[in-house]
Amino acid sequence: MKLSREMKDALKIVGAGGAVVYLTTSSAAGKPNTVGERFVAVHQDEYILIAEMYAQKTRVNLNENPRGVITLAHPVKGRTWAFVGPTTILQEGLPPEARFEGLLASEVLAEWGNWAEKEPPSEVPPDIRPPALVQRGVIIMKVDQVYDFAAGAAGRRLL
Amino acid sequence: MSKLTPRMKNWLVGSGAHVGTASRAGVPTVIVADTVRIEGDEVVAFPLSAAQVEHVRANLAENPQVAFGPGGLGSIRAAYQFKGKARLDGDLLRVEVSEIYSTKPGPEAGLRLDTLPYESVLKFEASRWKDEGPPARAGERS
Repeated sequence: MKLSREMKDALKIVGAGGAVVYLTTSSAAGKPNTVGERFVAVHQDEYILIAEMYAQKTRVNLNENPRGVITLAHPVKGRTWAFVGPTTILQEGLPPEARFEGLLASEVLAEWGNWAEKEPPSEVPPDIRPPALVQRGVIIMKVDQVYDFAAGAAGRRLL
Repeated sequence: MSKLTPRMKNWLVGSGAHVGTASRAGVPTVIVADTVRIEGDEVVAFPLSAAQVEHVRANLAENPQVAFGPGGLGSIRAAYQFKGKARLDGDLLRVEVSEIYSTKPGPEAGLRLDTLPYESVLKFEASRWKDEGPPARAGERS
């Protein structure tokens, strides 16, 4: 499903510290994992990308249960959105024909496999900047549902 | 259970929290709690709205495991993840924290903090961050 312009803008705030999201995954047995993520982008209007910088439990979860929820953490400003959909990790070493939800993995990696070069994190304050921007792939979600997380409307389907 | 530090408590209370739940089959559902109450050193409670209760009631009824971290900029400035078993008591979600992780990207991602001696956790925090909590609730929440 295509994200609205407003949603794409919220997930891509250049030069002002950027957008920050939470990515929630779960083990197949139902143990959830919820981590903040700083390097976020929208790809082709319906995919959300996150730099995979040695996520540990997220990787284990997505290997056995490829789905996730992305919630906007900052800046929210009334944009209380949770994005839901199939989620996986693309990284070098996949077979050349590997695809995810209609996308060729190699094409996504060619564009986003070196986040530091594409979008240097110069605006990230030194005290929260990773010591080294080491990336081993791209976490990717194809959004198939968006719901509200505002307290009074939690779970209300938006898209 | 696992003992929270003053910095962890301050960030949770000051920033709210994103709380992940899952069905027994592993389908995740997230709520964002604006209000956080700390009960002692190892229990974190979230007063929920009726809509939030409905959103996670089915998951919690079959699977009490939850994961959460501080909201707003706390998601990166206070890069902690807490896990534990939750119970819904009316509209109060109460979590007994049993695991605490660093989620700083890089070599400390996934570092488990609650299995370290408490003094070591305090030293870890002091060596990584200068603050004891969010600067001001209104400024951080946007």
